[in-house]
Amino acid sequence: MSTEDTVNYHILMKGELDGFVKKLAKKMKVCAPVAKGHNNYAFEEVTSASEISMDYIPTILPPKKYFMPPREKMLDFDLSGGKPQDKAVLENEPLAVFAVHTCDLAGIQCLNMVFSERPRDYNYLLRKENIFIIGLECNKYCDGNASCALVGNHYPNGGYDLFFTDIGDKWVIHVNTQKGEELVENMGLAKTSSADMVALDKVREGKKHTFQNEIGVDPKALPGIFAKGVDSKVWHDVGAKCVSCGNCTNVCPTCYCFDMSDTINLDLKTGSRNRTWDSCQFETFATVAGGENFREERANRQRHRFYRKFKYPLDKFYRSFCTGCGRCTRTCMAKINLKDTLKALAAEHK
Amino acid sequence: MTTPNKDTKAPAPAAAAKPKVAFFDFACCEGCQLQITNFGELLLDVLGAVDVVEFREAISEKWDGDYDVVFIEGSIGDHHAEERLKKIRARAKVLIAYGSCATTGGVNGMKNSFELDEIRQSVYGKDYKLFDSTPTKRVDQVVKVDYYINGCPVYIPELVEVLKHALRGLPYTVPDNPVCAECKLNENVCMYERGLACLGPWTKAGCNSWCVNNGNICYGCRGEVSNPAKNANDVISKYNLKPELIKAKFDMYNKCKEGAK
Repeated sequence: MSTEDTVNYHILMKGELDGFVKKLAKKMKVCAPVAKGHNNYAFEEVTSASEISMDYIPTILPPKKYFMPPREKMLDFDLSGGKPQDKAVLENEPLAVFAVHTCDLAGIQCLNMVFSERPRDYNYLLRKENIFIIGLECNKYCDGNASCALVGNHYPNGGYDLFFTDIGDKWVIHVNTQKGEELVENMGLAKTSSADMVALDKVREGKKHTFQNEIGVDPKALPGIFAKGVDSKVWHDVGAKCVSCGNCTNVCPTCYCFDMSDTINLDLKTGSRNRTWDSCQFETFATVAGGENFREERANRQRHRFYRKFKYPLDKFYRSFCTGCGRCTRTCMAKINLKDTLKALAAEHK
Repeated sequence: MTTPNKDTKAPAPAAAAKPKVAFFDFACCEGCQLQITNFGELLLDVLGAVDVVEFREAISEKWDGDYDVVFIEGSIGDHHAEERLKKIRARAKVLIAYGSCATTGGVNGMKNSFELDEIRQSVYGKDYKLFDSTPTKRVDQVVKVDYYINGCPVYIPELVEVLKHALRGLPYTVPDNPVCAECKLNENVCMYERGLACLGPWTKAGCNSWCVNNGNICYGCRGEVSNPAKNANDVISKYNLKPELIKAKFDMYNKCKEGAK
């Protein structure tokens, strides 16, 4: 690797993580994966390294919760005068999200595309500007539910300020933005040696064998398979299992549907407009005035979810909106398995 | 609007314009009334917006005029209660059923699992015929209900939300999503992951997964969503549960749904 390539690489010794986190926490709120028991993890505010699980399986909710909060106030209104008044609201604070896996970095990239489309979502875009992202490479699979290699998200592909890769007794840190550069300089982190870069290459090389296409189907064939699979029996099987709890979409790093509602204060004059995550799996989601529901069956709703990952976004954004994190499979109480569903669908078109 | 703290002593000239609100209880534990007395500071705001004219658990005054809003707690379990409820309805512009007993029948619905005379005998002994008793009914099986606040007990933020809707004359829809919808947003570790069977997937949301947030399972107190999944076999097999166990959990709050005429 040339010296030019190594310019943007620094190191952090494992024993120095606590100092790194503490210094960072003095600058801004730091959120990182924390163990919640029962092999569950969640991004939460931390102030020291001892609270963080650097070895974790994808968190219950992805980091999207910081970019588009589950419940968010959009505006305040006042009806007391002759003419109603309103004022846009953005509640946000500088924040660092630490140890974000590559699947979740991809998820944020997908949301960036969605919310940058016109009409732009300023709450999302302005909040994003205040979030410092530190990625963390997975050197091995989190568990058997992941399908990151299928969608090419097992390697970093941008979308971060800093990126950590474990090479043994230290992390190699890739600096990807000016904000990232300012931080590592401010912290006085040493540059990588050529031996560190060799170690990094070795990790990346090893991953070629560790991570393999999880479903044995060429990802390039998936859009075609989905194009032919609209009437597949697979959707009826999946629909028969589904209990419509909405877990699969709430935990998905790229699901972004929301509902809006107004609430008034007890003075009955002032109030606010708020949005909350919604789910296409709910009975109410596609119900329209008059009571008609254009996705009445669970099978239709589940099919819609899969098409929103593997078909429609490819047509629109040229990108899979499945990040391979495996959360939907992990969280499903009714054993709906993403990899098995894809395999069953592909098998129909062999 | 300022909070009229001093109204408590004054003969309330300003309060005369405020909506007259009354609370009544039928077959229940009166725990939902207790939730209202537990409002804390919010109570002052609520009292700034309404004029409470009857509330058995907290005041002794009675009111003989019409009511703008009445809150009905409890389910209806005998003929006397039916008549009393109808009289209240006749004097009320808006009627809000609140709490599981009133909105879905609640735990009183379990009465409907038995032959009526059998259960009367077990409760009242050999002279049971002297004591009037009917199968448990929800409030809306007796009179028209304008607003529903489900839950055992009611969830205070939802109660306030419904009150505001009632005062503004706007419709309020009880969420028809499952409790999981809110529970996941609160990022709780799923009760099934903890090895516990929870009724969240089949129960109406709106409580902000209050129980699970506090380490308990969902008991289904808000009633089933309108189209619950009929097939729980995959859930039962994934977590190695006993089907009878799940069914028994449903029976606690949902019996009235299938019972009573």
